[in-house]
Amino acid sequence: MTAQPPRSLGDALRDALPTYEAPERLRAFAHAQASSATVAGDRFARRRGMRNLAYAAALVLAVAIGGVGERVRDHMSATTSERNVLVADLVDTHVRSLMADHLTDVQSSDHHTVKPWFAGKVPFAPYVPELQPQGFPLVGGRVEFVNGRTAAALVYGRGLHTINLFIWPATASDEGNRSATHGGYALVHWTARGLSYWAVSDAAPAELDAFEKAFSSSTP
Amino acid sequence: MSVDQRFERIVLPHLDAAYTLARYLMNDASEAEDATQEAILRAVRYFHTLRSDADARPWLLAIVRRECYGGRRKRLDTLAFDDVPELQLVDQAARPDTATDRSILQHRIREAVAALPDVLRETLILRELQQCTYDEIATITEVPLGTVMSRLSRARVRLADALGGLTTFAEELG
Repeated sequence: MTAQPPRSLGDALRDALPTYEAPERLRAFAHAQASSATVAGDRFARRRGMRNLAYAAALVLAVAIGGVGERVRDHMSATTSERNVLVADLVDTHVRSLMADHLTDVQSSDHHTVKPWFAGKVPFAPYVPELQPQGFPLVGGRVEFVNGRTAAALVYGRGLHTINLFIWPATASDEGNRSATHGGYALVHWTARGLSYWAVSDAAPAELDAFEKAFSSSTP
Repeated sequence: MSVDQRFERIVLPHLDAAYTLARYLMNDASEAEDATQEAILRAVRYFHTLRSDADARPWLLAIVRRECYGGRRKRLDTLAFDDVPELQLVDQAARPDTATDRSILQHRIREAVAALPDVLRETLILRELQQCTYDEIATITEVPLGTVMSRLSRARVRLADALGGLTTFAEELG
């Protein structure tokens, strides 16, 4: 049996290549997750409600004693819940990088190898200092997807601990320094020269602070 | 409208498209299911980053793609592939007669598509099967528009080559 040749490559492809229906199990999972989005939404809505209440209270306080309101409002800023999501995602990504044998795509202690590797993979040039003298040997780097964007991940060692340093172009919401702990992991955040940095490790928070100082002081 | 209704209404209609993309990127049904499942988790978590309902499809496909490559499942073949010179079309006369047989042709197309390098296959699938716009493909695959065009063109050349340089395909390449 012969058939007319397809009119175009596109037609031929659509003829030959099947589109797939998601398996029932996957569909059920997706719907269940959509329901859990309600839970998250409700939780955020409740938080927002509490924030509004706190904000109103802060205004009263500000009138009463002046100055304090500004601080309370900063603390209650609208980005709080988004930042908590970010912190959880950074820790998830850190943990998975250790579990899945995918810590580095480029494995080298030589920053002349690691830095050029990122060219064309991330839309910025991360600074890759060697911090061996300060006790943080460079292990390598890889590309990650964090917080809805592509990030460079630099990997440093600290004794038996691993430090993941996530880097992406800073936006307004990245401004300011911050430290946090989540599930036993320490995080330190800073911005410098238009880039946002998040260091994550199971090392002690003080070690991570030392890492930030070492990194920052090695940046020109 | 509650969040779950929005997610159901805006994102879940694209579940088949998401799974189909994963199938072609992973070349494996169960890997594709795993990757899509992880992508749905990400999508729920980052639902607030979806700026416009109209972008839901490329937004979800981008997450699926990142999950396929970034989720430690599979490495992109090579990003340096753009430097490889294009293959030449084979002589028209070399085309086997059997290529006109519909089922054999379809089989050969599927094999040729599966054999494409990742960056070419994903671009081709997004364009021809998912009917994405060039802009959407550029966003999803995180490359400039010009790279999308050249990858698409190179994918078509490769396919035409693998299929024995069928006249109609070669003509389309212009």
